[in-house]
Amino acid sequence: MTVTFQLNGEDCRFHGDPMTPLVDILRQERFLTGTKAVCREGFCGACTVHVDDEAVPSCLKPVGLVEGCAVTTIEGLSSGNQALHPLQANLEAADAVQCGMCFPGMVMSLSAFVRDNPHASRPEIKAAMVGNICRCTGYERIVDAVADCLDQARKAGQLVGGINV
Amino acid sequence: MSELSATVMNLPRRDAQDKLRGRTKYTNDRVRPDMLHAVLLRSTVAAGRIRRLDVSAALRCPGVRAVATGADAPGLYGIGIADHPLLAIDTIRYHGEPIAVIAAETEKQARAALAAIMLEVEPLAPVSTMAAALQPAARLVHEGWRGYEVITEGGARAGNIAWEAKSSRGDVDAAFARPDIRIVESSFTVGRQSHVPFEPRVAIGSWEDGRAHIQTSTQVPWTVRNVTGRVMQLPPGRVRVTVPPVGGGFGLKFDASIEPITALLARMTGRTVVLENTRQEEMATCLCRENAEIRIRSAVTAEGHIAGREAVVLMDCGAYGGEQVFLTTMTAHTLGGNYKVGATRLVSRAVYTNTPPNGAFRACNGVYNAFALERHTDEICDALGFDPMEFRKKNVLGDGDLGATGQVFEDDVLGPMLGRMEALRATTGTSEAKADGRLYGMATTVGTWFVFVGPSAATVNLNADGSATLVTSGVEIGSGTMVQSLPQIVAGQLGLAPDQVIVREADTDAAGLDVGVGGGRTTVSIGAASVAACAEVREKLLRTAGEMLQTRPEDLVLRDGRVEITARPGSGMSIPVVVAHAQATTGPITGSGAFTARNTPAMSGCAMGHFIDALDIPVFVVHEAEVAVDPDTGHVEVLAYRVVQDVGRALNPRAILGQIQGGVVQGLGYALHEEVTLTADGRIAQDDFETYRLPLAQDAVPVAADLYEGAPSMGPLGTKGAGEVPILAVGAAIGCAVARAIGKPVRQLPLTPPRVLRLLHEREPPPELSHIAPGWAANTLG
Repeated sequence: MTVTFQLNGEDCRFHGDPMTPLVDILRQERFLTGTKAVCREGFCGACTVHVDDEAVPSCLKPVGLVEGCAVTTIEGLSSGNQALHPLQANLEAADAVQCGMCFPGMVMSLSAFVRDNPHASRPEIKAAMVGNICRCTGYERIVDAVADCLDQARKAGQLVGGINV
Repeated sequence: MSELSATVMNLPRRDAQDKLRGRTKYTNDRVRPDMLHAVLLRSTVAAGRIRRLDVSAALRCPGVRAVATGADAPGLYGIGIADHPLLAIDTIRYHGEPIAVIAAETEKQARAALAAIMLEVEPLAPVSTMAAALQPAARLVHEGWRGYEVITEGGARAGNIAWEAKSSRGDVDAAFARPDIRIVESSFTVGRQSHVPFEPRVAIGSWEDGRAHIQTSTQVPWTVRNVTGRVMQLPPGRVRVTVPPVGGGFGLKFDASIEPITALLARMTGRTVVLENTRQEEMATCLCRENAEIRIRSAVTAEGHIAGREAVVLMDCGAYGGEQVFLTTMTAHTLGGNYKVGATRLVSRAVYTNTPPNGAFRACNGVYNAFALERHTDEICDALGFDPMEFRKKNVLGDGDLGATGQVFEDDVLGPMLGRMEALRATTGTSEAKADGRLYGMATTVGTWFVFVGPSAATVNLNADGSATLVTSGVEIGSGTMVQSLPQIVAGQLGLAPDQVIVREADTDAAGLDVGVGGGRTTVSIGAASVAACAEVREKLLRTAGEMLQTRPEDLVLRDGRVEITARPGSGMSIPVVVAHAQATTGPITGSGAFTARNTPAMSGCAMGHFIDALDIPVFVVHEAEVAVDPDTGHVEVLAYRVVQDVGRALNPRAILGQIQGGVVQGLGYALHEEVTLTADGRIAQDDFETYRLPLAQDAVPVAADLYEGAPSMGPLGTKGAGEVPILAVGAAIGCAVARAIGKPVRQLPLTPPRVLRLLHEREPPPELSHIAPGWAANTLG
């Protein structure tokens, strides 16, 4: 079976079992290894991608279900020499990163969150992180970075990341 | 600009952008289509004898290129004792033990071929617990224990006791016989903790020009090199290990495990082979923080003087000795640390069981011994009517006090740190109001750990563009040493900016021996070796510049990328000009440096079977927790958490605070909900993210921390390791705070809601430690 979808803005065709997890196609066939397969059960969030602008764990998404959809991975969020997404910039500024393996998924989850929740409180940010586990950082700096990101956007009168993030 | 002011800064991480963009290539991101995939046949029984192992049919399966068994790599490895085969040979000792491995063109083909391996196993009744292992008639987990090669001499061993370390100072019997003392006895048990690094253990092996090359996610490239040599019976120099960025370690990757298998298969096939644990395999065979059983007795006077103390600590090493053999050493310094004690004797035993082997985990041994010692201290205070804070202030180790092995501690550190905690609390306030009707408790606890010093080597090459390349066997596991403290140190020594320092990731062919990234040692040991390498570079640089400037080298200084005459800022010339001159006249400017332990002495006859008799660099912490316990559900909420940490010198305070936040939250998981249990058939029951409850964002609290500087340290610029100890006293602080909140003794971790409810309703049985004999000496091999 052939599945056709948009991957980081370009046409992508997959021939094979439509039940193949999207994460395996990203990593093993497209070498987009920024998407991490950590628990493969939807708990850790390290494989989060955007499917039609919604953050979803790609380990639980059979590729057959993205037919006709637009898939954005961490590589597509700020590609090439493009500036970091404001959330990435705030995470860098907060010295939040340690081993770094959870961060691509964390960024994909929280970039959708900050776009949709410009007035989120700290407890709401933490609640939104329930599907993204980090073993290194103890989370607080990530929460700080999200709060800073929202704060800056509010002061600038903009939505974070504009549209299609 | 002084060396110190040029080094201390909140340098950002150079690896952050790539990690945030998903561009960093960890080992398991480096799988290429032309690689073979290896999968392991693992035991489904906890103990047994292999009666038949025939892989011939598997070799004929589609896509299969090689199958290996224990016969292909017969050498044994271990720490202290060589007791561990790469793949089971004749005997199975734990559920999940690798028995055979298949390399095939695809992972699917390799998995399919597993079914074609003919394996017949005669199951044996497993020795599942330390209590069972210590029974006089217990079956031996290692029947041939006497025949193993002893790599490090000195430990007592017998049967299921893999290793025993003792420390003894003073006349303990006399102290306990004094008429003016009260005896307080406490017993504790703690379970295992699983590291759960996001990158599992994974290796990519190839065979190049007659040598093995292993790329792997490890903290110990030299251990992987040496173990691969042992098991394949090759000179270790025929193994090269390189290490990409590591996706989390926490001690799990402080020993070799599956890595040599890829070299074996690469030699058999001539192909590059990748082997990666699935998440289930990773958790089912995790080299966990060990479960332990502890009994402590203290003889305390009415004035609050600890006249005598004795303890027995049983550490479950699982099926193979591994790190626990070494870690028996630590009891003398963790349980035997913190307090002034008159006479003391401690025994620490690593016990074989038919369970998955345990290993190293951040602040190994210290985490549960701190919990036991601090809860015991509170039980002393309860029994004798002392205020817990005043008792600690009166009894913590100070200048000139003796440790359990007779080590003389230098300077007053813990006492002033307790004062700093009170000052910190005064600035943050307390959070009792947030308890909102629940049971509230607060506790302040102390902890002693150390820096695992030992050998490191460094080379610095000064380049003609003014940059310097630092070559070491260091590994970036996330703690930031390779991207923050080391470039800061080299830049400070050479008058460069940190971004001019290129840091080479570990390659055992390029850098000298190193005992690995762990034990809080990287900034100290590799940092000290780097400082020594920089001294040679400086000497050559200043000598060359002195000739060019017709000035004595001692009148020159390295400053802002220039060699200047000390008294005349802006004079002299840029470093690249000097380097270019040197390259054309005397040759490129390089320096090498080395570092190892000072081997601080213990008191004669006080330490038996120890790998480290006394601590070269002790590290102290003070932790304070406030908790609210819901009496209806048993749920513990952490309301506030404060840390005062002895850092020696903070080279990058912001990075250290990040380590403290992360380490404390990992400790909260250990204290409250990370629980590993073993099933009746010897499996780790929690082998996925659904069953093993990791801390989530909503479990975290912002940690208020104060960095205590100035305690003595042999580390460069007075540094101590800062990433290891933030987890040290979390179990202690939470255990003591919960005990005070509920008014019941806490003797086990983790404090899951069901356990807390049982404690509240007095339905939690006390630890059953009848296998620890009442008399201390009966718990030793004599």
